[in-house]
Amino acid sequence: MATQIPQTATSEHATAGLLPRIGRSLATVPALGWLVGVLCAVIIEYVIGDTLAVMLYLPKVPALFGTTLVLKQPLLFPSALLFVLLVYVLPIGAVARLSAGWTNRAAVALERVPIWLSVLVHLGLLYAVLHVWTEASDYRLQVAKLIMIAVMLTLSINVINGYMGEFSCSHPGFMALGAYASSVFTLLLFKQDRLFGAALLPESLGPYFFPIALVIGGAAAALGALVVAIPSFRTRGDYLAIISLAFMFIVKSAIENIEPIGGPRGMGGQPHWSTLPAVFAGMAICIWIINNFVRSTMGKALNAVRDNEIAADAMTVNTRRTKMVAFMFGAFWAGVAGGFYAHEVRHVTPGSFGIQMLAEILAMVYFGGLNSVVGSIVGAVSISMISEILKPLQLYKWIIIPLILILVMIFRPTGLVAFRDFDIKRILGARR
Amino acid sequence: MAFFLQNVINALQWGSFYALIALGYSMVYSILMLFNFTHGDIFMTGTYIGFGVATALVALATALSWSMPGWLLLVLTIIIAMFLTSILGVVVERVGYRPLREAPRASAAITGLMIGIMLEYGNLAILGTQRYNFPSIIETATYDVGGVFLTNKKILIVGVALLLMIALHQFIHKTRWGMAMRAMSYDFQVVPLMGVSLNVIAPMTFAIGSALAAAGGILYGMAYPVLDPFMGILLGWKSFVAAILGGRGSILGAALAGFLLGFIEIFTAMVFPSTFRDLIAYSIILLILTFRPYGFFGQAHSAQLRL
Amino acid sequence: MRKLSTVLVLVFSVMLVMVFISCGKKRETIIKIGINAPITGDIPKVGEGSKFAAQMWLEDIEKAGGLQVGDKKYPVALVIEDNESKAESAVKANTKMITEDGVMVIIGPQSSKQAVPAGGVANDYQTPMISPWSTNPDTTKDRPFVFRACFLDPFQGPVAAKFVKEEFGFTRAAVLYDVASDYPKGLAEFFKKAWEEINGPDSVVAYESFTTKDTDFSSQLTKIKDSGAEFLFTPQYYNEVALIVKQAHELGFNNPIIGSDSWGSAETVSLCGEDCYGLFFSTHYAAAGAQGATKEFIDRYQQKHGYVPDDVAALTWDAIRLAQQAIENTGGLTGDVKKDRIAVRDQLAKIKDFAGITGNMTFTEEGDPIKCAVIVRISDQGEYEFYKQVCP
Repeated sequence: MATQIPQTATSEHATAGLLPRIGRSLATVPALGWLVGVLCAVIIEYVIGDTLAVMLYLPKVPALFGTTLVLKQPLLFPSALLFVLLVYVLPIGAVARLSAGWTNRAAVALERVPIWLSVLVHLGLLYAVLHVWTEASDYRLQVAKLIMIAVMLTLSINVINGYMGEFSCSHPGFMALGAYASSVFTLLLFKQDRLFGAALLPESLGPYFFPIALVIGGAAAALGALVVAIPSFRTRGDYLAIISLAFMFIVKSAIENIEPIGGPRGMGGQPHWSTLPAVFAGMAICIWIINNFVRSTMGKALNAVRDNEIAADAMTVNTRRTKMVAFMFGAFWAGVAGGFYAHEVRHVTPGSFGIQMLAEILAMVYFGGLNSVVGSIVGAVSISMISEILKPLQLYKWIIIPLILILVMIFRPTGLVAFRDFDIKRILGARR
Repeated sequence: MAFFLQNVINALQWGSFYALIALGYSMVYSILMLFNFTHGDIFMTGTYIGFGVATALVALATALSWSMPGWLLLVLTIIIAMFLTSILGVVVERVGYRPLREAPRASAAITGLMIGIMLEYGNLAILGTQRYNFPSIIETATYDVGGVFLTNKKILIVGVALLLMIALHQFIHKTRWGMAMRAMSYDFQVVPLMGVSLNVIAPMTFAIGSALAAAGGILYGMAYPVLDPFMGILLGWKSFVAAILGGRGSILGAALAGFLLGFIEIFTAMVFPSTFRDLIAYSIILLILTFRPYGFFGQAHSAQLRL
Repeated sequence: MRKLSTVLVLVFSVMLVMVFISCGKKRETIIKIGINAPITGDIPKVGEGSKFAAQMWLEDIEKAGGLQVGDKKYPVALVIEDNESKAESAVKANTKMITEDGVMVIIGPQSSKQAVPAGGVANDYQTPMISPWSTNPDTTKDRPFVFRACFLDPFQGPVAAKFVKEEFGFTRAAVLYDVASDYPKGLAEFFKKAWEEINGPDSVVAYESFTTKDTDFSSQLTKIKDSGAEFLFTPQYYNEVALIVKQAHELGFNNPIIGSDSWGSAETVSLCGEDCYGLFFSTHYAAAGAQGATKEFIDRYQQKHGYVPDDVAALTWDAIRLAQQAIENTGGLTGDVKKDRIAVRDQLAKIKDFAGITGNMTFTEEGDPIKCAVIVRISDQGEYEFYKQVCP
């Protein structure tokens, strides 16, 4: 008996020590190191993924870490797990840890250069990771692009529902405006189609004009936001909720009645310009600008208005102007996301932008966390991924996802990562 | 003239449903300051419960070879379904809203929305994709009054809806419980200090709202006898518009706004080409709110709103 | 430490063993058929019909021991993806089935809202796709790889108009349709055009609409009644048909109501009851008078799932049988799915007089079928009786 006690104690001590020790040693890895690790992992997958998949008797390189596969063929679970371990977990951990020395030095060096340069370097690496990762499967590419569009959408609604503290329901409407405005622009100028006839400019010029199309989409949504903002910000309260809801119905019904843009049949044949670099750049710019916006004086004023409008007013904040600008700003990005959506799905109908989409957007923003840029990213990515992964469950998916959301809401009422600033310096900085 | 009167009848019937559902929204909104986005789906579940109760009662009556008169069947169905649905309302409050009482209001709205989705798909998983035909509880009789067509069901629907509204109004204004609710709607932080428990008032609010939704659902099933798990969504969101339009703290306002919404929808379809119905109807709502920013009967929000 | 590593080693070895267990089968060419159906979302019934029809087909093939192509029998697998009745999910589902699962043919999506964008994907990846139900011209337009199994509105609209003129000799028509849904809107437009060609301008005295999910049509029906229309044409889905017909009768509109193939579901009568008896609609086949393969299909489906199949199930059945025919006609597979897809597409375009349960089909240049329609009367027993056949 007496001999056993120290044994268990030591073994327990060691067991308890292993995971924290790995955690501790990985804590010294800076963001740069992780990116390098992931890059190595995706390159490994690119090079030997197919061979390894064949060896493990997987039908193909698993698109979303094998998760979609496993629900359909549970027998493949060990193979998929092994694949993920061998291709992702081990290389990422090993490379990140082993390279921690020089990546930390590089991170220190990057701390001395202007922040935008450092950000660009990291973004470049992140793009490289995505590029190589999505090379393996077009399905993966499409899922990644749609997730990035969802990130933009979630961020844009967080400006209104999180930072401004109002309850807006019109985001599908703004997205529809953006999608239609940008599609009309591109179809009119660059594409021969059923609705507008011959193209006015050669299609090869098109990609250069795509940013303009997106801005036009955003501007259309912002104008729509003005229609909502003027009546609703005359007073404090929940009227924005129903005015924006009414606005959503109005947009849908209006598009249905404009035959030149296809009416209820929708508008199709947009050029496929939402490529990975375009969407990635759009998302990066969106995160950058929204993050700057919410950390600016305007963003702080917005928080002040949310927390106490009268006090904010007394502190010389022009509350009405602040709210209007923020609302239009949020709508603008929803419009841009709509433009990307239209050029990815390449067919838009007014029916797509309805209550169902509203429920999804709201779920993403409240799941991720209010008043937080990181939260929006987390929310959009996780809800989109969960929803894609659980698809084989069919009906039961729609019981499980709400259950997850309810539990998250009960245990973390403001969402997973709420009220946290997105501190780029801290994230990118060295860990030593 | 007959054309116009006919549309008045149509609007009265259609408005009754908006009004009955908006009442449930408005009660929770007025007293707890929460958006109860489950309500549309509670309405749907109430209709299905009513369907189940009516079918069971008919089966029971047949088994006992006892011919039950239609009105008795209807009254029994409504009462039993109201009771069962109010239990559902209490459960929703307990599971979805009570844990979030200190949380941002919007978070509670999201749990409500999610419970709604679970009710829809739970229904689909249990009952399958088949649509059900609501049993015709009482025989339809059509009357032609000078070119205006009335049915006994239409009269019944509007009558029962009005009766329930008056009953609710009396309850809120004449009883002690009603008084407690009204007090709660002024300030739900101070009133509990005076010996009125929020844990009693909140479930009661949900129960009454859900019971009204169930009654509305049965009437709806009699008028539009095709049941569908997703039938509550659009109706629910539109009634939400009516509830807020009525103004905070006003039960009467919600009922009137419900009827108003019904009238706007029916009459825009009457006057303009019906493709433009939603466009024009909701533009009118937008205009109303521009000029009456506090809704019809509501007062400005005095208390500081939580997020 | 040792405990943990023992556990890790155990887990790893179990995993390896299972990997080798799951690998017993040799890799062989499997013909995969993709089904892109709205299993969740607002029209789960449509998804269920497509799924059941496809599974019935699979049973047949499995009973026969596989699909005979040339001189070899290939095993067949279905890949069923849920498109949640959303455009972007339909696009994702198609991409997934084509690039991940390597399907040879895709059946679906059903609604135009999803079929148009999903058709774009199928065409880009050169994978043949047959939409059983979508009537939007954009679905197949300029897309050599996309086909459909239902007839188009320009055909069905005039059929209904001519039938009413010949049968009743009416001159004033009313139309009630769902403006937000592709199928009713297209059919309403073509019906209006055809009717005005026969009876002169302004012979459609009321042309009213509503939006998907509406249940109250009283205002529109009051207008229709007031316009003095002699009959009502309403190309709606069965759940709306029950409401429209009942409300029309309650408002005192007792003139005939004519429908289209979307009425052709058993639920029309179960939801609508006696109100619908005696009404006419144009469709692909008459369930009560069905013969041969059609009857066999209906009986089998009913026995298995407890209800008479909807038109969408029958059309899915035809679409998948068309795909089977095309695969068989290739005369042999190369094993390279990309080449086989092109071969299947070429065979699909060549199919002549295919005997489907919803009528004989031949594809046009655009990939749209040419087939006959029948007029069905709902009898006083609530059955669909064959009344007349109309061919283009």
